[in-house]
Formats: sequence, C-alpha cells, structure tokens
Amino acid sequence: MMATVAALLVWGAGWWLNVRLATGPHSDRPVVRALIPAIFGITVILVWELLVWAFEINPVILPAPSSIAERILVEGPRLWADFQQTIIKGAMTGYVFGGLAAFGVAILADRSDFLTRGILPVGSFMAALPIVGTAPIFVKWLGSDWESKAAVVAVMVFFPILVNTVAGLKDTSAMQRDLMRTYGAGYWPTLLKLRLPAAMPFIFNGLKIATTLALIGAIVAEFFGSPTVGMGFRISTSFGQLALDMVWAEIVIAALAGSGFYGAITLIEKRVTFWHPSQR
Amino acid sequence: MKKMMMAAALAVGLGGTTAFADGHANTVTLQLQWVTQAQFAGYYVALDKGYYEAEGLDVTILAGGPDIAPPQVLAGGGADAMLNWMPSALAAREKGLPVVNIAQPFKTSGLMLTCWKDTGITSVADFKGKTIGVWFFGNEYPFLSWMSQEGISTDGGEDGVTVLKQGFNVDPLLNREADCISTMTYNEYGQVLDAGVNPDELVTFKYEEQGVATLEDGIYVLEENLDDPVFVDKMVRFVRASMAGWKYAEANPEEAAGIILDNDETGAQTEAAQVRMMGEIAKLTAGSNGALDPADYERTVATLLAGGSDPVISAAPEGAWTHAITDQALN
Amino acid sequence: MKSVLPILTVIAAILLFWVVCVVPMNIHLVADQAQRDELIVTPETPSARQDVSGVGLALRNTHLIPLTYNFVRPNLPSPHQVAGEMYNTIFGQKITSKRSLVYHGWVTLAPTLLGFLIGTSLGIFLAVGIVYSRVMDLSVMPWAIVSQTIPILALAPMVIVVLGSMGIQGLFPKSLISAYLSFFPVVVGMVKGLRSPDAMQLDLLRTYNASKSQGFWALRLPASAPYLFASLKIGISASLVGTIVAELPTGARAGFGARMLVGDQYGQPLVSWAALFAAAITAAALVGIFSLIERITLKRMGMAAT
Repeated sequence: MMATVAALLVWGAGWWLNVRLATGPHSDRPVVRALIPAIFGITVILVWELLVWAFEINPVILPAPSSIAERILVEGPRLWADFQQTIIKGAMTGYVFGGLAAFGVAILADRSDFLTRGILPVGSFMAALPIVGTAPIFVKWLGSDWESKAAVVAVMVFFPILVNTVAGLKDTSAMQRDLMRTYGAGYWPTLLKLRLPAAMPFIFNGLKIATTLALIGAIVAEFFGSPTVGMGFRISTSFGQLALDMVWAEIVIAALAGSGFYGAITLIEKRVTFWHPSQR
Repeated sequence: MKKMMMAAALAVGLGGTTAFADGHANTVTLQLQWVTQAQFAGYYVALDKGYYEAEGLDVTILAGGPDIAPPQVLAGGGADAMLNWMPSALAAREKGLPVVNIAQPFKTSGLMLTCWKDTGITSVADFKGKTIGVWFFGNEYPFLSWMSQEGISTDGGEDGVTVLKQGFNVDPLLNREADCISTMTYNEYGQVLDAGVNPDELVTFKYEEQGVATLEDGIYVLEENLDDPVFVDKMVRFVRASMAGWKYAEANPEEAAGIILDNDETGAQTEAAQVRMMGEIAKLTAGSNGALDPADYERTVATLLAGGSDPVISAAPEGAWTHAITDQALN
Repeated sequence: MKSVLPILTVIAAILLFWVVCVVPMNIHLVADQAQRDELIVTPETPSARQDVSGVGLALRNTHLIPLTYNFVRPNLPSPHQVAGEMYNTIFGQKITSKRSLVYHGWVTLAPTLLGFLIGTSLGIFLAVGIVYSRVMDLSVMPWAIVSQTIPILALAPMVIVVLGSMGIQGLFPKSLISAYLSFFPVVVGMVKGLRSPDAMQLDLLRTYNASKSQGFWALRLPASAPYLFASLKIGISASLVGTIVAELPTGARAGFGARMLVGDQYGQPLVSWAALFAAAITAAALVGIFSLIERITLKRMGMAAT
C-alpha cells in the first residue's frame, strides 16, 4: 500500500517536473529537450525499482533495475562481444547489403515504369514474410554464424528502403526536370545532380525505419541457431537459465544501440538534407 | 503509461500467486517442457482415458515451446506443477526459485550425441577440434558438465570443441555444419534416420553409457505449496493418475500415439514419428514407478558438481526432492 | 489493372530464378541420398562433396538434377512442391480440421485484428496527446521510438507469464504483443498527419473563432486521413508479424507461427514453407483491403490518394 502511494508520488513528481520544464521559458533549449525524456525515463525506472522491492517480486520474473545495472557493469566484456557479433557483424552488414540492393533495384525501377509497377507489390509481399519463418530457412542455408543473420536483416530492410527511394526519385517537379534538359543533361547527370539529392529526405526516412528493423531482425534470427555468442543467443539462453537480469541487460544494450544507430542516421540526415523545410 | 499498467498488472498478479496455485482443491495445471508429443504421453493418456477424472481432478495441460521457461511459469503462478530436467531445476533452485521434485517418471536419460562416422570420431577424445551442436534452455548442462569432466574446453580451437547453439532440428548435421549434434533417442535420432541416413554412417554417444547422464523429465512444484495440505492431496491424486497413464502408455504405444495426435493442435505431427517416439520413451520410463530413486539423484548431483571450472550448481542442494507425494500416491 | 502485366512479369522472373536455384541448394542432400540408393555420384565421399559447390556438384552429376525437384526434405522446395502443399492444406482439408491452413489462419488472424484495434486506438490516443500536449511530445515521443528497439521476442515471455498468472491466456496476451508492434507506425503517421495543416489553414480556423476541439474535428483529423491510412497499412502488417512472434511463447500450439515452428522442428520443411507463404498472402490481402478502404474513403472526402 505504502509502496503504491510512494510510486504514485514519484510518478507525479516526475510528471510535474516535466510539465514545468516543457511549458517554461527555456523549453526550446537543447539541454532541456534532452532532459525531459531523461526525467521521464528515470521516473519509470524509480517506480519500477520501488514496486519490485515493495511487492517482493521474484527476480526470476522481473528483476529490479539495480540488479540489471550491476549485471551490465559486471559482464561488460561479454556484452561487448555479443554486441560485435549481432550488431556489427549481423545487423550492420545486412543493413548495408540490403540498402545497396534496394538502392540498385530502385534505380533500375526508376528507368522503367513497367518495372516499378511490378516490383512494388511483389516487394510488399516479400516484406510481409514473417521473420519467424524466414530466419530458420536462412540458418539452414547459410549456417548458424553471422552470415545468415545478415541475410535475414537484408531481406527485412530491403522493402522499406526500396519503397522510399522510389517515392523520392519521383519527387522532382516537371519544372526542375525541364531545367536540367535545358542544360543538355542526360539521364545520369540529372540523376546525380537533381533527382538523387531531391530524393534524400525520402531515402533517409526509409533508412531510419530500417535501423530498428535491422536490429530486431539480427537478434530474433539468433533464436534459431547461432554460435555461442550474440545478443539473441544471450537473451534466449539466459532466459532459459532464469538469469533475467542478463536478459534485461542485453535489452538495455539493444535499446541503446538502436537509439544510437537511429540518432546517427538522423544526424547524417540533418547534414545532407539541410535544405528541406523539415530541417529548417 | 504502458509501464505503469504493467507494474499495476504485476502487482495484482504477484499478490495472487499462491492463491491462484491452490485456489481450487481439484484443479491442476501442468506446464510441459515442449510442444505436445509422445514425450508427455503419460499425462495425455491419463487425461483422455479419464484417470484424472476418476481421481476427481480437473487437469489442464499447457504445452511448452521454444520461448517458454517452465520454471518461470511456475514462479508466475501460471501452473501448479511443471516438467523439467533435473539440472535445470537444480539451477533454478540456486537462482532463488525453490522448486522441489515430487515424482520422477523417467528413470533413464535419452540424451545422446550423434556424429558422422566419416569425421573420424571414435571416442570422446576425438571431439577436440570439432563442431558440436548443443541445445540450450536447460539442456546444455549435461554437455557442459561432461566436457568439463573430460577436460575439453568449449571455447573452440584445436584442443577444444566449437559449440553451436542448435536450432530445433537436425539440419546442422545433415548440412554438415556440425560434426555432431545433440539428439534425443526418441526424437531427433529418428529424424536423422528419416532423412535417409543409415545407422552405420553414424557414431553415437549415449550419455547413460558415458556415465554422465542426468535425470530428465520430472514433476516439480514450488516448495511453499508443499506446506498446504490441500495442495499436497491434489498432487498425490495427480501423480497417482499420471503414473497410471504412463504405465498404460508404455503398454499401448499405438493408442498413446493416437491420443497425442488428437491433442496436437498444430496438426503437423505424424503418426509414424509419434509411435516411434512412444516406443523409445517407454524404454526411459520403464523401471520407474514414479518415485525418485535417491541414488539416481545423487548421481545427477555428482555429475553436475564435477563440472570443474564451470559447474552447473555450486553446492549440493538440500530439500530439492521429496517422497512425501509418491509415498502416498503409490500405496 | 494496368499493373497486372508488370506484376506477373516480375513474379515470373522470380519464379524462374527460384526454379533454377532449387538445383544447387538441394544437390548435396540429394547426392547423399542417391549414394545410399546405389547411384553413381561424383565425388564419392560426402566429405569430398562438402568441398564442391552446389553448382559444381550439379554439373558433375546431371542425372541427379531431376531428383532435386521432388526431394522429401529439401533445403529449397521447388515451387510446385510448395503450391501442392498449400493446395492440400487449404482446399484438401476441412476448414475446422487442425491440419487445415485456413483454421490456423483464423487462429492467427483473430489476435491480429484485436491487437491491431488496440494498437491503433493507443496510437491515435498517443498521437493526439503528443500534438496537443507539449509535455507528452517531449517526454513520450523519444520513448516511443526507443520502445521499437527493444526486441519483442525477449519481452513477450515475461508479458505472457504475468498475464498467465492472472489467468488471462489465449487471445488477449497475443493481441497485446501484436499491439506493441503496430502502435508505433500509427503514432508516427498520425502525429505527422495531425500536424500537416499549414499555417494558412490554421489561421483560417482562428478567424472563425474555432475552439481547439472544433479545430481537431474539422481540420486536423480529416487532414490526417492520408497519413493515417499509410500508417494503418504498415500497422496491420506489423500486427500479423507480432501475432506470429507471440505464438512462440504461448506454446506454439496453433496458428501460422506454430506451423512454421513445428514444421521446421520435425523435419517437414514443406509445412513450414506453406505456412510462410500463407502468412505473407494474408498480410498482403489485409493491406489490399485497407488500400481499397483508403481509396473509397479519400475519394468521398475529396482527397485524391497519392
């Protein structure tokens, strides 16, 4: 009872603090903008810790944030090895390959309206193939190591990047294309100097969507066969060993990696598409 | 918001843990270790043939699967009893979840390593430098223990074995990604044969014959529930009916396989595979009337403790099993 | 309708590629089996064959190529094998039978629809909150993004154990996980959509002295319709994937996910492949239905669908 009241109080305090910050005079400063979600997150963690402690929730079901933090500190090297296996070797490789493939197909489709109308519906069918089905098949084909995970990721990110690139390449107005024709520019110079830069906002939209898909794809694919390293491997085996704090430690790393990846793409987007209204 | 709701749900859920577990004096929920298959024939037979009903019990059997840890379900109060392998249960005890073995229908272990003969493997020492597939989720303990006892590292390289987390099928062997894979006598070994492989192309190592076997499917409950006489009475009746189910299944494998198929909700199991499985399972349950043999228990604990550098459990468990239920059930 | 020919062409090209790939993918297993059946295979030992590529092995053993198309446990089933299995399990079984893909399709579809409903409602609710409350915008939106980086397969068992301990099993836990995956696209789309009216239109409403609520119903909500539909289409697909993922921690008893898993486990790849394709077709059909609804609705609202 007391704990629930305390938890509600903490929640209320965090919310009140955020309201003050968000509606106050400094609400547009970057520091404040970073502080508000941080306070929200910290409030959630505090409430979580309180409830786990007060209701004596078995750590086998839900560990307390403090034990998760401890696990992260203790298992640093192992978490780093898992990170390299899953994120760098699996997710990143698949992301790059899938992105390049999607890009290539989009340029091909751009040259032919016929192809575009054919590829997009078929691509959406491929995007609908559930990972629970494709992952075991890729593991069967490519073995248990990171290659099969990269393949799963490549298939998952292919369609979002393709759709967005195609949409972006169509986004130039007739006047702009006419201008290029008055300069005597052929297909490739027009592509490189006008249409690709104009497509960048769309392409980055697709790339951002693909970052979370890549992460999830690599981790889930490891459930179906992997060497004894990797985030998905660690999550599934720690779960079987009831080491829930390790499971959550990996989840935290996954969330950090995913947000970091997403943030990095957003930063690049800001530099490349500085001219777009949404960035001004 | 979502986290708040989860926290509230958790609070409600955990407050009701023990209440749910023995809330009704005649309902029992059993959490299986894997999907519906003949490995659990005794329970399905008891359900189908009315043995539970005859004892006045309303039993629900929950199938397991790849993402379900039975100890966790037990901890969350979603089941009264679970099936588990002893190494996994003892490790759970050490992790702070006091589970107790109340019955042991499986006397011997069906775990084995199946290797290609043309890899040149003839004995354990030949494992060095090879790739071996191991399941996890509680099934890795016997293997890790064994390797530790033999002094073979599991980190790969020339002098160690490279361990592969095997998925849920025998493809790593067929595709020659692994030199050996973990198989159960009653399931995956048969699948390898079904894929057309001749037995003389294979070399097998049964954990029983290597002296590193551990006890497998046993019935476990939470320790605190054993203080409740209503719960104990419920379990006595449950174990009695379940063992009757097992003995019937051993004697009538085809009928048992048919009952499994009726209860298989995926519709993907085949009769041939289940009949074969039942035949092999009968060899593992033969010799047990349900009561845990303390000598078998001691052997399992010794195997687990002997895992030198990376023991599965760090100390001999106390109070991990009880005859209280089987004493009453088998009289 | 003018898209039919291009789609068929692309499908034909993919089918051709698939048919060609069947040979190198299956040749190793076929060679192993052929050797047991006393056919001549070059090279002679399995370990020597390991060093030869699929294409190389096929070229050296052309008499084995037809066998790769009818293999019982193929690495890559031939299209006619998958089509045959799908035909058998969709039309060749009673709809209520456990061996029918239609039955399993319904088992997967029911939580998908419920989860989609929950996810969409939650998404719209959050989006309205984010647009109208600065606090929610700044505090909740980043966490909504982070929530998508958390692998749901890790969280799902815990959610299901907690709900199971409260006696809630079956449809609802799967729907929750399904909703988890579908709420985010809806949030993102609706936020963009609710913010899409430009300054001139907002000013116009101010000259009408419209209250916030009137502004919402008259301008923001209708303006968000195209964005909403785009998000709904992504959301329904994500819901289906979420339900299939949720079938793993709930015992893989029934549904497409269960079929994929059990087929994979018990050495019946055709069962797995048939379920995989059936799931994708279901998702495509759902997206198609939403596209149709979108076209009708937007036409009636006077907005041409882009």
